Amino acid sequence: MASLNILSARRLTLEVRQRVNPIYRLAIILGAASVGLGICVGILLDAGVNLASIYEEFIVFTFFNAAGISTVIVESTPLVLAGLSAALAFRVNFWNIGIEGQVLMGVIGATLIAIFDIGPQSIRIVLMLIFAVGFGALWALPPALLKVRLNVNEVISTLLLNYIAFYFVMNQVYGPWKDPRDKFPHSEKYETFERLPEIGWEQVHYGILVAAVAVVLVWWLIERSRFGIRSRFVGANPRMALAIGLPVSLITASSALFSGGMAGTAGFVIASATEFRLTPAMAAGYGFSGIVIAFLAGNRPIATLVVAFLMGGLYVAGASMKVFYSLPDALVGLIQAIIVLSVTASEFFIRYRLRLARYERS
Amino acid sequence: MIKRIVAIAAVAVLAAGFAGLAHADTFKLDGDPKPAWIYFNVKNDGGWTQAIDEARQRMEAELGIEIPFVEKVPEIASEIKPAAERYIRRGHNIIIGSAFGYSDAFKELSERYPEVAFLNPAGTTNGPNLQSFYGRTYESQYLCGMVAGALTKSNKIGFVAANPFGLVNWTVNAYLLGARQLNPDVTLTVVFTGAWNDPVKERASAQALVEQGIDVIGQHVDTPTPQVVAQEQGIFGTGHHRDMREFAPQATACSSVWVWDRYLTPTFKKIAAGQWEPNPWGDFISIGDGGTDIACCGDMVPQDVADKVMAEREALVNGKHVFQGPIYDQAGTVRVAEGEVPSDGDLWGMDYLIQGVTGSLN
Repeated sequence: MASLNILSARRLTLEVRQRVNPIYRLAIILGAASVGLGICVGILLDAGVNLASIYEEFIVFTFFNAAGISTVIVESTPLVLAGLSAALAFRVNFWNIGIEGQVLMGVIGATLIAIFDIGPQSIRIVLMLIFAVGFGALWALPPALLKVRLNVNEVISTLLLNYIAFYFVMNQVYGPWKDPRDKFPHSEKYETFERLPEIGWEQVHYGILVAAVAVVLVWWLIERSRFGIRSRFVGANPRMALAIGLPVSLITASSALFSGGMAGTAGFVIASATEFRLTPAMAAGYGFSGIVIAFLAGNRPIATLVVAFLMGGLYVAGASMKVFYSLPDALVGLIQAIIVLSVTASEFFIRYRLRLARYERS
Repeated sequence: MIKRIVAIAAVAVLAAGFAGLAHADTFKLDGDPKPAWIYFNVKNDGGWTQAIDEARQRMEAELGIEIPFVEKVPEIASEIKPAAERYIRRGHNIIIGSAFGYSDAFKELSERYPEVAFLNPAGTTNGPNLQSFYGRTYESQYLCGMVAGALTKSNKIGFVAANPFGLVNWTVNAYLLGARQLNPDVTLTVVFTGAWNDPVKERASAQALVEQGIDVIGQHVDTPTPQVVAQEQGIFGTGHHRDMREFAPQATACSSVWVWDRYLTPTFKKIAAGQWEPNPWGDFISIGDGGTDIACCGDMVPQDVADKVMAEREALVNGKHVFQGPIYDQAGTVRVAEGEVPSDGDLWGMDYLIQGVTGSLN
């Protein structure tokens, strides 16, 4: 009867889920990813890409073929390090937007050792790594101090330091570090012993080892050490952490420095394993990718490794798309963004339950 | 004088030696030429890359072959190499680049794939199957400078430039030398934006120049912004990369434009015929052989001025040198002595601005 419809109505309600079953969680993420992929397939078909070739060229060519998978590994190595860098800082709610700049400073640190021939040749590469870590951490130091001492918002301070780092790089390549040989704006090339060698399979280099060690270290630091437990407390509730006597400032500041150092490590890998010099086109977005990776991975180190690898695959597949179909860069960027956004948005459905609730009007 | 002759002889012997090495195994293409192009920016950037894309289309029409391209491959080895390798795996045997930042990656690729020909505009590396090339842009900019000198009423012209190093400095200097051909009293003020593609800074720089009383504006950046500002302000401008009448029809008096196809089409034919011998020092293309030419002139340029410009162009084609000594720098020091011309090495290393230029390289 009509009167019944007026008295009882339905509406959507949001409920917070109390407990999330991991399988359910995975199902939601995969579901969201397939929705995103579905939209992308639609876009690609519209752009004139053949449906049969999508699977063959983008999935098989990217993940199930030596050339493809090795390219993904090379692509994801700095992404793993950038993701770890973001995770280390975000865990204590230190919003480090300055990873890009810290990566660049890492490159500067490594290049400094290389072009001034500091230290014996046998340990030159180790010195470069140490300096890269140091310079990255140094670049995170002012925002860390400003945050814990003066409560200056680190989003702004770290963001602005990116520009300073970039212009410092430009100053060096157009100024004192200009290649004396060809007088072009890049540093002189690293010597053989200043480069990370290839492992002997495809073009994969020892940066993969650096990334693996970093994952283990960060895993231990976050999941097993006393520092990790304390920092989880600081991240969850800084006031309470302070109230029970934890050194909140110290934990926040040192997390920021670890983050900077990890970004510097990414810079070291980019410089010593693929570029072999300081160039004006370095960082190129690794820092911002790192932020997305850490977010998707829930700031957990092992998950960061997995997400970074998938992200690397997404970039490599996007690059193939451009090569095979001369697709515009904007379209490829759009497709990558749709996939990342779909997965990111799934977080909402993991946390909340949408229900069509019936209620009676009185 | 004797010293100089000895030096020339030494260089000649050295060059002959290198040429001999290159002769040792003349490059042979495996099969029909199958080119592919890698762009460092989007194909419709309005400047450098778009000029390349237009050359590609003219070459497709002229040679009757398809030349696929991939856009926006950043100047990072780990992005460039996979893109090139994807084409190579699909049987492409001529890979063309688009940027200085591709130099190292192309060198590595050329060593890894000796059966593939590599060509890179604005590159710095060369080899038995790798040729870098660039235009003598100072010639076309010199001719546009003549137009600027003829059009200025205030005897003050301005120039918006990207980064202060050899190949930008020479366009600034040549522009003023050209202007003086038709107006001995003219002075030039240059602003370096520190970036190839920064429309915001280019606009601010162009406006600042207008406020200082300049009434013709030249440029060497990657966007049409300086010409757009010139049109807004009701003054004149000259463009670079492409014919800027597209963006500022009322203001653009002359443009220095890339005509890569005039160089690359014969090069392709040489490669196909097995007669290609890359110049170990890079090809430095004069106005008569491709590189840059001028799109001249706009309606505001009087016919007698246009005639003088075209006559001077003819003189350049026939061997006249723009930097015929004496050339004095800002401090009044002789940089090119009376009766001499700078070597190509001197041009690439040009680290001074000439007398009459206001502005600084730092």
